[in-house]
Amino acid sequence: MGKGRPFLEIFTYALDEDYRFPLLEIFAFLFALGTFVFANLGTYGQTGEALAYNLVSTLCGFPLLFIFVVLILKNVAYGLGSDLDTGVMQTLFSYPLKRRHILTAKLLSGLGIALLLFLGIQIFGLFLLAPNVILTYPSTVFLTYAAQLCSPALLLAGLVLLVTLRLKRGGLAVIIGVVLLFAGLVVSGLVTSIAYGTGSDLSLKIWAVINPNSALQRYYMGAVGFASETWVPSFSEVLLYLGAGYLIVAALFVVGYVYFERRLEI
Amino acid sequence: MIQVDDLAKSYGRVVAVDGLSLRVEEGSIMGLIGPNGAGKTTAIKIILGLLKPDRGVVRVFDEEPWDNPDIKPKIGVIYERAYFPSRHKVFDYLKRVCRIFGEPESRAREVLALTRLEDAHDRTIKALSAGMLQKFAVAHALIKEPRLIIADEPTSNLDPEARRELLDLILQLHRDENVTFLISSHVLPELSRVCESVAIINKGKVWAVGSLTELSEKLGTRTTRISTDNPEALGELVRKLEYVNRVEVDSRGVSVGVLAGEDERLYEDVPRLAKEAEAKIVGIETGTASLEELFRLAVKSTQGEKS
Repeated sequence: MGKGRPFLEIFTYALDEDYRFPLLEIFAFLFALGTFVFANLGTYGQTGEALAYNLVSTLCGFPLLFIFVVLILKNVAYGLGSDLDTGVMQTLFSYPLKRRHILTAKLLSGLGIALLLFLGIQIFGLFLLAPNVILTYPSTVFLTYAAQLCSPALLLAGLVLLVTLRLKRGGLAVIIGVVLLFAGLVVSGLVTSIAYGTGSDLSLKIWAVINPNSALQRYYMGAVGFASETWVPSFSEVLLYLGAGYLIVAALFVVGYVYFERRLEI
Repeated sequence: MIQVDDLAKSYGRVVAVDGLSLRVEEGSIMGLIGPNGAGKTTAIKIILGLLKPDRGVVRVFDEEPWDNPDIKPKIGVIYERAYFPSRHKVFDYLKRVCRIFGEPESRAREVLALTRLEDAHDRTIKALSAGMLQKFAVAHALIKEPRLIIADEPTSNLDPEARRELLDLILQLHRDENVTFLISSHVLPELSRVCESVAIINKGKVWAVGSLTELSEKLGTRTTRISTDNPEALGELVRKLEYVNRVEVDSRGVSVGVLAGEDERLYEDVPRLAKEAEAKIVGIETGTASLEELFRLAVKSTQGEKS
C-alpha cells in the first residue's frame, strides 16, 4: 500500500474540517474585500521601490493580516488542538502514516492553503490595481510579502503550534495566540520609544530579528516621526534580519515536528 | 503477537504502570481486568504506540509500536469512548477509511452489515447514539480485516442485546478468521464468556495471568458450593475454619473459597459443622472460582499490601 493515498485522505479530511462551508467563502471574501479597500495607491508622494513597498504593505497590512492570523489560529490552534483534545488524533494515529506526515497534512491544510488563499488574492488584486508596480519592482514586492508574513503570521503560527501540542487544548491555544498577537503590537510600539529614550539602536535591532518587516520598513521609508534620528539598516542588513526571522520560524516548526514525532503522548 | 516486558510509566508522581509484563499469543483472546486506575488503559495505550514507556520493552508483531505505520493495518482498535470527526456521515467516513487502507469501498458496506449499522448509513457520526457509536467504532476497526483487535471497555456503552451481538461477533471473528483479541473490560461475566485467558492487573502490575481454571488453581480460590436449609448458621461456622479465605451466604446456601488443596478437608468438616448448625446439607460441589471472585481477591490482596 502506497503512502500517498493515506496522506491525501488525511489532507482532504483536514481541508474538510478547516474550511467547512461557509468559512472558506467568508475568508476569501474578506481577503478580496480588504485587498481592494485597503489599497493605498501612490500616497505620500512616494516613488520607485518605496512606493512598491508602501502599496504592498497597505494591501497586506494589519486588517488583512489580522484576518489571516485569525484563520491560522483557527486552523492550527483550534483545528489541531481539538483533534488532540477530543481524541480524534488517536484515530488518525491508527492509520498507516508516520506522525510527521499526519502533521504535514494538517499544516498543509491549515496553514498552506490559508497562505495560498491570502497570497493568491493579494497578487491578483495587485495585478489589477497596479500591474506596473509588480512588473517593475518584483523583488521589492517579494521581499515585502516575505517580511510581512514572517512576523506576525508565520512566527505566531509556529508559536501557536508549540503551545497547542503542549496544552492539547484548542480553545486555550487560540486565546494564547490572540494574546501573543496583541503583545507583539504593544512591543512594536515600545521598542521605538526605548530606542528614542535611550539613544541606543539595540532594541530596534533585536525587534528586527523577530519582526524583519520593521527593518524593511526603515530601509524603504526611513526612520520617521519623533524617532527620526534612530537606526536605518542597509539592504544587506535587511536581508540578514529577514533570514534570521525565517530561521526562528523554521526552528519553531522543527521543534514542533520533533515534539509531535517523538514526544507527543495522547 | 504482543510481548510486553517490565513496562513502567508514571504521570508525574503517579505510577500508572510498574513492571508490567504480558504475552498475548496469536489466535488467543486475552482479557485484561483490574480496578479503576490499575493501569489497564495506560498499558493499552503503550501497546498502541500512543504513550512512551519510561522503562521496558513492547513488541507488537515483533516491532516497536511507536510511530510505526507498518503495523497499523494489522491492528484494529476499539476505545471505550469512540473518537471520530463528528460531522462526517457514517458511510462516507468508512469509505474514506477504506481508501486509507487500500480496501475496496464495498468493504464499508460489509462492516456496516456485520455491525448491523445499515440503517445509520446516511447519518452523521454525531447523530449516532452512544451504542451505535460504539458499533461504528467496531465497524471502523474491522475495515482493514485486522489480525489483532485491541479493545478498551468495548461494551461499556452498549445495551444487553448489543453486548451479546458484539461478543458473538468477537467469537465469530476469532473462530472464522483467527483474529487475536486483547480486551479490557469491567464486565467480568462477558469476559469469562469470550476470553481464553485473563490477566489481572492491579497497581500497574500483572497480579496473575492464565486461564480461569489455571488462575483458580494457582491462586487457591476454588469455590465449593454447599446447598443447605440453614445457610446463615452454617456460614458462621465455616467462616471460622482457618483454611477458608472467603464465605458468601445467600438464601439457598453457602459459597466457600478454599485454599489450594484444602477441598478435601472442607468435605470432611462440613458434616460435622452442619450437625452443629442444625443444618441439612442438600448438596455440595466444588468448581473453579468466577472471574468476579478472582478480581475481588486481587483487589483485596493489593489492599493488604498497602496496609
